[in-house]
Amino acid sequence: MKCESCNEREATIHISKGNGFEKTEKFLCEQCANASFENDFSYPDDTFNIQKLLKSLSEHPSLQQTQRRPKQCGTCGSTINTIVQMGKFGCPDCYATFGSQAADIISRVQAHQSEHAGKMPVKSRAHLKTRKKLEQLRGRLEKLVETQEFEEAAVVRDEIRALEQAGDSDGI
Amino acid sequence: MKSERWNRQVIVMEYSHISPWMQDVEELPVEMSTRVRLARNVSHLPFPYMMKDDGGLEPVLAKLEAVLDGYRRVEMNGLQFEDKALLVEKHLVSPLFTKRGLLSYISEDESVSIMVNEEDHLRIQTMGVGIPMIDLYRKADAIDDMLESEVDYAFDEKYGYLTACPTNVGTGLRASVMLHLPALTFGSRIQTLAANLSRFGFTLRGIYGEGSVPLGHIYQLSNQLTLGQTEEEIINNLDELKERIVEEEMEMRSWLESEHLLEVKDSVYRSYGLLKHAYRMPLKEAAKCLSDLKLGTDLKLIEHEDFQFQKWIQLIQPAFIKMRLNEKDKEITSLEHAVEEERAALMRQLLGGE
Ligand SMILES: [Zn+2]
Ligand SMILES: [Zn+2]
Repeated sequence: MKCESCNEREATIHISKGNGFEKTEKFLCEQCANASFENDFSYPDDTFNIQKLLKSLSEHPSLQQTQRRPKQCGTCGSTINTIVQMGKFGCPDCYATFGSQAADIISRVQAHQSEHAGKMPVKSRAHLKTRKKLEQLRGRLEKLVETQEFEEAAVVRDEIRALEQAGDSDGI
Repeated sequence: MKSERWNRQVIVMEYSHISPWMQDVEELPVEMSTRVRLARNVSHLPFPYMMKDDGGLEPVLAKLEAVLDGYRRVEMNGLQFEDKALLVEKHLVSPLFTKRGLLSYISEDESVSIMVNEEDHLRIQTMGVGIPMIDLYRKADAIDDMLESEVDYAFDEKYGYLTACPTNVGTGLRASVMLHLPALTFGSRIQTLAANLSRFGFTLRGIYGEGSVPLGHIYQLSNQLTLGQTEEEIINNLDELKERIVEEEMEMRSWLESEHLLEVKDSVYRSYGLLKHAYRMPLKEAAKCLSDLKLGTDLKLIEHEDFQFQKWIQLIQPAFIKMRLNEKDKEITSLEHAVEEERAALMRQLLGGE
């Protein structure tokens, strides 16, 4: 039996076409089967067509501004146009690079939600704790300097330095 | 005709049968298996589709393997097409992954799969039947903690876990449960239901096939939003919706029993007859018949020992059938007919036909 797609090579693979598993069954050679994997299977995971949604965003005013001077992500090279086109960010840093535009896209896709409320990586939990502590200490240092309690201020300053350095060496 | 590929030995024998976690599960009416997945990425590294090569991930993988004890490493480019299809039919990997993914770590009982370079660097997936969804999440959460001890995740205080697609940002959590909904399909209630759910950020859709009636009347309920809610909230809401849909389906079944008993009996026994005696079975027909039989056994209109809907639905999928054909090593003149004949033979065998 010949491959139904190229009609040249022997059909060695039985593939079901359609969304996930078949509306029609096909018999293909390996080359054609591999090529069709990408097009014919879609995983029931992408819950809706994001590209379509984002296309409508390209008429959005804050996205249009960039057409004059396209900003590029320093880590991956994406521009807001490639992001909208693909329906995907190029790398984690794109989120910060495209600040308000990223916020627009996220809010649109996530039904106006904009703040994460769930789990935090253990490392971030520690980092947040350190940052809170640092804020506290800096406030105290300021007051101590104001009231000219320099001896204690020096102690607090050293505490701050120690915390900052510990943070650096942990890569946080 | 006898081609070499056709008779190729299945190299990855471990993947040739139903996953251990699915064996011997107690089947409920309506509710089938549950899946939870977490999307995670490594900081400052392009997302997989933007990666020029996989070099950047290598040090990460070395670290992961240090903590992934008892997982099998399955590299995509080492697999034959049919083995990939089998992994997809077992839901261990996604179709996108078989095309572009790098490798997957699969637990011994195949209830956990970690895909490397699917749409995101890491996708942690846990599966189960009859296990509370929150427990499946806890399992994924524990694996997540373990991996995070080795890897710097891309995380933002405002947006949470950063993902390639903004539809996953935040928790990166997609929880889903498969539901067998023949009565709701019969009564056409399903469209209204699906439309209502999507307004609340959930989706209900046919898991196999996109036609108006999905294969085997099997649907997947999952969360659509991943931002602004905690993991527990997402799962609790999904659980609650699931219960409501199960209730509706059961109500519709009572209605079917009281108003359309003859019709139901007729299709149940017709399907039973076909499964037991047919010599050729296209996938669509086999799935429809199995669905009828499941409804029939749930309504106690028919009794069949050993009948396992979920397991059998998987066994009739193309890659599974092809694997059986490969094992038999027989002459084949038409692939299409061979697959349909083998599927029918399997059904006759399972149902004690001839
Ligand atoms: Zn071909
Ligand atoms: Zn980027």
